[in-house]
Amino acid sequence: MSGPGILVLGLGNDILTDDAVGLLVVRQLGEEFADDPRVEVRETQEMGLALLDYLTGYREAILVDAIQTGKASPGTLHELDSDGLRLLAGGTPHFLGVGETLALGRQLGLAMPERVRIFAIEVTDAQTLGTRLSPAIQQALPAILDRIRAAIRE
Amino acid sequence: MNDEAQQTWNTGAAKANAAYQGARRNITINPITRLEGHGKIDIFLDGKGDVERAYLQVPELRGFEVFSIGRPAEDMPQITSRICGVCPTAHHMAATKALDDLYQIEPTHVGRMIRELVYNAFTLEDHALHFFVLGGPDFIVGPDAPPAERNIVGVIQKVGLEAGKKVIGMRRRIREITSYFGGKVVHPVLGLPGGVSKGLKAEDLPKFKELAKDGVEFAEWTLSIFKQIVLANPDYVKMITSDAYTHKTCYMGQVDAQNKVNFYDGKLRVVDCDGKEVCKFTAREYRDYVAEHVEPWSYMKFTFLKDRGWNGFTEGPQSSIYAVGPLARLNVAEGMATPKAQAAYEEFFKTLGGKPVHHTLATHWARVIEMIYAAERLEQLINDPDITSPDIRRVPTSVPTVGMGVVEAPRGTLFHHYETDEKGLIRMANMVVATGNNASRIAMSVERAAKGLIKGGHVTEGLLNRVEMAFRAYDPCLGCATHTLPGHMPLIASIYDTRRCLVRTLKQD
Repeated sequence: MSGPGILVLGLGNDILTDDAVGLLVVRQLGEEFADDPRVEVRETQEMGLALLDYLTGYREAILVDAIQTGKASPGTLHELDSDGLRLLAGGTPHFLGVGETLALGRQLGLAMPERVRIFAIEVTDAQTLGTRLSPAIQQALPAILDRIRAAIRE
Repeated sequence: MNDEAQQTWNTGAAKANAAYQGARRNITINPITRLEGHGKIDIFLDGKGDVERAYLQVPELRGFEVFSIGRPAEDMPQITSRICGVCPTAHHMAATKALDDLYQIEPTHVGRMIRELVYNAFTLEDHALHFFVLGGPDFIVGPDAPPAERNIVGVIQKVGLEAGKKVIGMRRRIREITSYFGGKVVHPVLGLPGGVSKGLKAEDLPKFKELAKDGVEFAEWTLSIFKQIVLANPDYVKMITSDAYTHKTCYMGQVDAQNKVNFYDGKLRVVDCDGKEVCKFTAREYRDYVAEHVEPWSYMKFTFLKDRGWNGFTEGPQSSIYAVGPLARLNVAEGMATPKAQAAYEEFFKTLGGKPVHHTLATHWARVIEMIYAAERLEQLINDPDITSPDIRRVPTSVPTVGMGVVEAPRGTLFHHYETDEKGLIRMANMVVATGNNASRIAMSVERAAKGLIKGGHVTEGLLNRVEMAFRAYDPCLGCATHTLPGHMPLIASIYDTRRCLVRTLKQD
């Protein structure tokens, strides 16, 4: 496969306060990895089936997203690999998750990444229109960036 | 139990708990749930253990007006399309039309055609997405199939791999139209007061003509799939027409001068539960006809017909509740403006016993009929001899004050309202979204489903999926209604006894 092998994809909405965190993280990484031909950094506000278009054609994908489990303190970085993602996970009958997108893509004969890692950042507010992160998330950013940077280089 | 046995027991229990937590974690963190706003259903039982009331609540978006105030009105088509990743083009177009009104300027004929072209392409794609990915799996794979199969992958297993490729391929090609004109699919930059920012080049015409032609074929093929799988199955037909999914309310939708369905422009027409016209009005008159009711148990505002007053969640001739969306549009219209859609429209009402059709689940069928219309309209517009004309915009000169715009979003009527100072800076901004217009009927559907599935305190298995099916037909963009994120919404149902004590909780991630 030619071209960049690793896709770093940020997900979120840049005008919904903390929901922007995945986008802000990859914007920073995009500058840092601008000269690295192995890595392509992209962002999207889409989800579900649209992820198929983004994921096609890479050996490896790293997704950065916001999440609100309410079970971890704000700024916590949840880390999952594709083994942790149950392919075709139960309970998602009406929307396409990453696991299903990968399965669907493979079934359709598209080049899906062999390895997918997901970094989901625990946030506090994703329901207010706004363009500033909550302080706790802002403070956690440097450590989050360090971890994902390291993951890209792994 | 001796110490050793106790220890073995404890270790086993700890492992089981960890495995359970692990499994739960995987589901919870599955990024489709992204920021999870739980949909919350509260079910209150009476003394016999039957359902007295059931309420659906969803999380709320905050700060739309505050965020908008002081910004130039021209930014609104971009801002509102960024609120939600599900129907950006609908918000973009409603906002653009509100800007036409704000600056009192009519778009040029070509500018208008391009807007309508893009809008129909968007509707075709969005409806297809719902049919094959979101709502369709309930029927194509089956309402009682395990959730792991009730999705697009299950759909492909049922309809075949080639069909799957067709769906994915068509979706990608339709999106090319949106991005050709709008730059980005999610944040279209197309609509300007008085027209659009980009025209269609003659050299690009052939590929779009080809696409429009294939789009019509694709929509007809989708209808044939629906007929084969859903209509040919007596159990499904029974379910669609059952009382559990039927509500006799009013309907609202946009129609053209001949009272035919139109997604982009026209007047809003309302019919009562017998199909008689109640009123017909323009975007500007919207607030004279529609009012909002607040319930203590919900953040949502429940819209109703102002003339009739709020009569509660009632059906029948007195009902002031109306529904919007595909079924409502077919019910309010006197037909479809294109031939193939018209034929499908006639078959729909003939099969279901005349107008109006009150079966919520028939919305899925109505949606497919609208796909045919969207594709045919797309084909008409792309073949218009003027479509490549560069006369795409008229520049506004008047002083702005108030602007209102309406479109039919895939999910139903979407209304934008702005007020500005003389420089065009926003002083007030409001939206009434499709799911808000449908909120009352959705609440009724949820309650009806709960009533049918809980008797004498006994909760029928599969309650949550059946309740979800009741509101999934509306394709509620709860992200938009509540302005939280779009996508999968995990559900929690809490069941309370007569003393309002919680007796049971059901969760579906």
